[in-house]
Amino acid sequence: MTTASDPYVLNIGPQHPSTHGVFRLRVVMDGEHLQDVDMVVGYLHRSMEKLAEERTYAQNIPFTDRTDYLAAMSNNLGYCLAAELLAGVEVPERASYLRVIFAELQRIASHSMANGTFINDAGAWQTPLMYMFREREKILDLFEMTCGARLTTNYMRIGGVAFEPPPEFYPAVDALVAELPDRIGEYTELLVDNEILLARARDVGVLSPADAINASITGPVLRASGVPWDLRKAEPYCAYDRFDFGIPVGHHGDCYDRFLVRLEEMRQSVRIIRQALDGLPSGAHKTEIPLALRPEPGEAYARVEGPRGELGFYVVSDGGPAPFRFHIRAPSLINLSLLREMAVGSSLPDAIVTLGSLDIVVGEIDR
Amino acid sequence: MSAALDPIRLRARLAPRTLARGVIAFAAFVALNVAIAALVVSGALDGEWYDFRDLGLGVQQLREWLDEQTADQPGWLTDILRSTTWLSYLVTALLGATGILSFVGGVLLVLIWVERRLIGRIQVRRGPNRVGPFGLLQPVADAIKLIQKETLIPVGADRVMFFLPPVLVFIPGLLVWAPVPWAPHMTYVDTNVGVLYLVAIGSLATLAIFMAGWSSNNHYALLGAMRTVAMMISYEIPLALSLLTVVVLTGSAQLSAIVEWQSVHNVWIVVLLPLTLFTFFFASTAELNRTPNDIAEAESEIVAGFHTEYSGMKFGLFYAVELGNAVAVSALTAALFLGGWSMFGLQEWVPAYLLFATKVAAVYFVLVWLRGTLPRFRLDQLMAFAWKYLIPLALLNLGVVAIEAALFRRWEGEGVVVLGGFALANGLLTVVAVRGWARFLGYAPEREPLLRPTLTTGVGGLRAVDRMRTTR
Amino acid sequence: MESTGIIIGFWALAGLTVGSAALVFVVRNLLHAVLALVLSFMGMAGLFLTLSADFIAMAQVLIYAGAISVLLVFAVMLTPLASRDNGNSLFALPGLAIGGAFALLLMFLAVDVDWPELRDAALADRAFADTIEAVGRSLVDRYAFAFQVASALLLVALIGAIALVREDGAP
Repeated sequence: MTTASDPYVLNIGPQHPSTHGVFRLRVVMDGEHLQDVDMVVGYLHRSMEKLAEERTYAQNIPFTDRTDYLAAMSNNLGYCLAAELLAGVEVPERASYLRVIFAELQRIASHSMANGTFINDAGAWQTPLMYMFREREKILDLFEMTCGARLTTNYMRIGGVAFEPPPEFYPAVDALVAELPDRIGEYTELLVDNEILLARARDVGVLSPADAINASITGPVLRASGVPWDLRKAEPYCAYDRFDFGIPVGHHGDCYDRFLVRLEEMRQSVRIIRQALDGLPSGAHKTEIPLALRPEPGEAYARVEGPRGELGFYVVSDGGPAPFRFHIRAPSLINLSLLREMAVGSSLPDAIVTLGSLDIVVGEIDR
Repeated sequence: MSAALDPIRLRARLAPRTLARGVIAFAAFVALNVAIAALVVSGALDGEWYDFRDLGLGVQQLREWLDEQTADQPGWLTDILRSTTWLSYLVTALLGATGILSFVGGVLLVLIWVERRLIGRIQVRRGPNRVGPFGLLQPVADAIKLIQKETLIPVGADRVMFFLPPVLVFIPGLLVWAPVPWAPHMTYVDTNVGVLYLVAIGSLATLAIFMAGWSSNNHYALLGAMRTVAMMISYEIPLALSLLTVVVLTGSAQLSAIVEWQSVHNVWIVVLLPLTLFTFFFASTAELNRTPNDIAEAESEIVAGFHTEYSGMKFGLFYAVELGNAVAVSALTAALFLGGWSMFGLQEWVPAYLLFATKVAAVYFVLVWLRGTLPRFRLDQLMAFAWKYLIPLALLNLGVVAIEAALFRRWEGEGVVVLGGFALANGLLTVVAVRGWARFLGYAPEREPLLRPTLTTGVGGLRAVDRMRTTR
Repeated sequence: MESTGIIIGFWALAGLTVGSAALVFVVRNLLHAVLALVLSFMGMAGLFLTLSADFIAMAQVLIYAGAISVLLVFAVMLTPLASRDNGNSLFALPGLAIGGAFALLLMFLAVDVDWPELRDAALADRAFADTIEAVGRSLVDRYAFAFQVASALLLVALIGAIALVREDGAP
């Protein structure tokens, strides 16, 4: 005897607590199980890439804040590296170090957010999220005291960084760096080895290394699948080749590994920040460049290891003051592309946890 | 630390002013209790002024009062009043119901605040603190807001079935309070099938919730409703078995008698039956839809479950009932497992209902604590837990306790020794059964050690993956 | 026993029970029918209460209103949408006939049998004081064998149901 029930279509989003923005999953469900997933993106499309063709190279930096709004510093950095490559601008040593410090602070902030919302999706009622927000809040305070903004920082400049950090920045960041390992230990105590979290996230949304590489997945999701690939090691930019840090690599490729990899990356980021602060050279924080930068005709692609993966900026110049073509390789969008393969056949709660573990930012997907 | 780094002061600080407020609040609480105790001791409140132990007594008192009033006033009105017993019954019942209603309403308004404040503290934030002193009036403000809101009816909803559920879930939410023993003789309906009554009342809400989910014409609501129904019928079994275990041990299904038993033997049942408390409490969290078992309204998955489409005070009713049921479960846990109003003789000096209320508050705190800490199970895991784990354990426990109860009846003489032996044996049984059954079901964390991510410094593609696999 | 309150209660509950039972076959929506049936069960429980049979009343609520109704709801949800209505049925007339005959039989019995009456109030009090204990005692004492047979029957039914719906090769 079979008890067949009719499949039905469930629209998860565009307004839903777990889609992390205006993103829609059109899901064909049989009971609680997913038969098909259709991802509908574009609700947050602001045509950033087209707008960038109308503005000068310096004017484009604020746009990059608003793509991945949880990691504005990394986006600034990636774009500035691309523009510098295109225009052949040298960056002072001190600026590189400051860039590393702020990019790593941003990584910690972004991973806090990612892990917090992931645990939220797994059902903890906001508590771990609030814990992680506490640390993120302090990092955003550091951003505020340096550049006046918390979220959309617009801090990096072509040729360096916008401002020298104020004197009170250094004791504050020292205190934070001293405090963070304890805080991360707190999350570890609360969440790692938590039986419920293990039951929910272990062996859920498994991604094999070969699949991950074939789909061009990057970032913590790729490393959780077991592929040791990190642009900070593979293709060191700024001053990353001078710091001693490891890249965490998972063994299962499931949601739980993604969570653990992010947690470990936060620890490694603290290590990097400490080394960068110790070795911070003196000198100028910025190379002066003409306001209306007119690079020679040509193209440049620069990529950084953003919190979500390989964040690439492709800029083409036709010799004018504005880019001829501007494109962002958005890791969120590419990491999302395998959601269907990971979620179909699983149940709705598993799919939600998998989506949460991918750590998407819709601003970056839709741009 | 610079002021700019910590402008929001997210962490609760023991600032002198906060400390002073806390001391004042605590002192006021102590003073209140001392005053009540003094009143009791001095005899101003003696007798059984709160003795509304059952309807019969209330009716008797009411009738005596009526006779007194109408003694020297003959007339047709007196005749009617004297001849209609059922009218007295009705009045007494309404009075008691009003008492319970006002109690539940008042307690809910306070507890919404308590829960939000506690969760706030657990989550390193402050919780509501704007409306009224300490934010105490926040629930009132919320209620006013909810009442003002428009009730939206989804297109295609079954209107009658959509309107009924908020009312229907409220009825069991109130009925469950009837047999709760607050103090000796302080029970609204001291029925001798109290425990069975509780289980029966508990099963009534299921259908109302299903109606809510089905009539909303919304997939999320329907999913939530089906989850609730599946979960509730599964968890009613371990719940009933746990309650039955208590009944078997104490030999009565009357809640006041169970508390009396604990008072007489000077022991809390939690000491004797820890495993029962575990099964009861876990099953209760499932029935209550609270974490870790809040899958029926799992916010991150199905938005709000069965009450997704409800707005305004209809949603407010669901919310209130949910909290009210949590308090009711706390009250039952306190009565059945923590000795109710008895406290090893302390009840002679302190009003018994205050002792009971303290215990209820303690259990409720545990519920809030769980809610603020744990992630959520998946539906299939939860069902498997009920059927494969809780029910066998509860059955085993019931069998063991039945034997113990028989032995206890036989050796009534040396009660302390026997009960001590039972406590030891059952404690041991709990540890062995909980661990052993988990092992039997295949739980073996040491067999596959959790591989933490390894740190590397080299990079590479698939070949590096293979290399890492072999060197693992 | 014969106080006005009980009589009012009896007629109200009887009206509720019979009225909602009638609703079960009048309403078109199958789920509404299920809910009306639950209302009828609740009325029955109330009738038991007026008879001072509190244990049976609670069992009625627990088993019929709580469990059986949920089972019915599940059955309805598992039926395909197309056949989910409570429309005309071939069995309407035979059903009415059988029901009517049964009601007549019960009425005849109620009038014909010489019911023992509990005239003495004290005797009545003792008889109804502790139904739960009386039920429990008779189950393990006088009707122990019948009780065991019934439970064995239920167990067999349970296992049979599992064996029927189990797919081959399922774990």
